Parts: sequence; structure tokens; C-alpha cells
Amino acid sequence: MASKTTAAERPSGSTKTAARPVTADPGRLTLVCVLSWLIPGAGHLMQGRRDKGLAFLIVLSLMFGIGLWLQGRLFPLEWSDPLVFLGAIADRGVGVPYALAYFADAGAGTVTAASYEYGNTFLMTAGLLNFLVVLDAFDIGKGRK
Amino acid sequence: MPHLPASHFLYMVAYALLVSIVFALLMKDERREQLKTGGMMFAGFVVAALAIGWLMFPFPL
Repeated sequence: MASKTTAAERPSGSTKTAARPVTADPGRLTLVCVLSWLIPGAGHLMQGRRDKGLAFLIVLSLMFGIGLWLQGRLFPLEWSDPLVFLGAIADRGVGVPYALAYFADAGAGTVTAASYEYGNTFLMTAGLLNFLVVLDAFDIGKGRK
Repeated sequence: MPHLPASHFLYMVAYALLVSIVFALLMKDERREQLKTGGMMFAGFVVAALAIGWLMFPFPL
């Protein structure tokens, strides 16, 4: 476990570590992570990473939209079927776009469509990538990047 | 709703492109490095998919 040290206490040889913030406000970090989950890229935008934030917002939303367009399915949280349950978690990873699709009754999925599995893959990957984006925003907030 | 193109290759290329962009942005901070990593990853995805598809071609469904 890393001990909390101030910049003055660190060895002077490492400029990279000295530039990092010593501690991050847990409340702000939580807000960054929650916002980053709800709106892809929002955590980066909040922390001044404008280009990355906008790119994540556009790319992940586009990916989710393509998944819906390809007639993919937004899986229900079904405990009895573990694979469907995991798919449902992945779908929900994208945040607000998922909620919008849910309330617009999109994502019913057409199993007979040739693009059905592609659609599912796009939808789930968009959510899973957004989980990685949330972790990246967390790392930035902690001063690790 | 626009008509869906029935091209599996097109879907695969679009998927590879979008995933490569996100990974390149996550892994690198410099614009030049992002382009290099993203380009390499995209090419890797497409070439690997074509190679695996070609290897699987003789096998019946």
C-alpha cells in the first residue's frame, strides 16, 4: 500500500513523481468516475483533457448507435442466464446512451437479422470500453497519468 | 432507418477502427504516438481477421 507523502518528502531525483498531486479529493474522484460512466468522456473533459474527452464521447456514442442500427439487443439483467447477465452489465457500461435507448424502446434486437451478432458486439464493446475510459479518468484524477 | 449494407467485412473494419481509436487514446498521450499505435492496431485487427477467415475458409459450417 502506497504511503501518503508530500512532494517535499520525495527524493529530488524524480521529476515525474514530484509533479504528481499527492492526494486526490475522494469526493471529486467519485464525481469524475460517475460522470465519466454516465457520459462517455465527461471525466476527461472535467479534468481538462478536452480532445480525449470529445473523442471518447463521439466514438463510444457512435459505436453504441451503430450497434442499435445493426439490430443488436440490449440484454435484460437476467440472473438465471449468466452470459445474458454479463452482456447486460456490458450494455449498461455506456451510461446515458443506454438509458436513452431503453426509454426509446430501442435495442429489442432482431435475432434473424444477419447483423444481429455484430450489433450485440458493438453495443457490449461500447460499454466495456467506457469502463476502461472511467478507469483512465480515475487514474488522471489520482495523478498517475 | 437507412438500409443496412450486408457486408460483414465493412462491419469488421468499422469495429476495428473504433476500437483502435479508443485504445490508442487510452494508451498514448502524444498525438503522433496515438496515430502510430492506432494505425498499427487497426492494421493488426484487419490483417488478423482476414488471415483467420482465410484459414477457416475450407471448414464447413
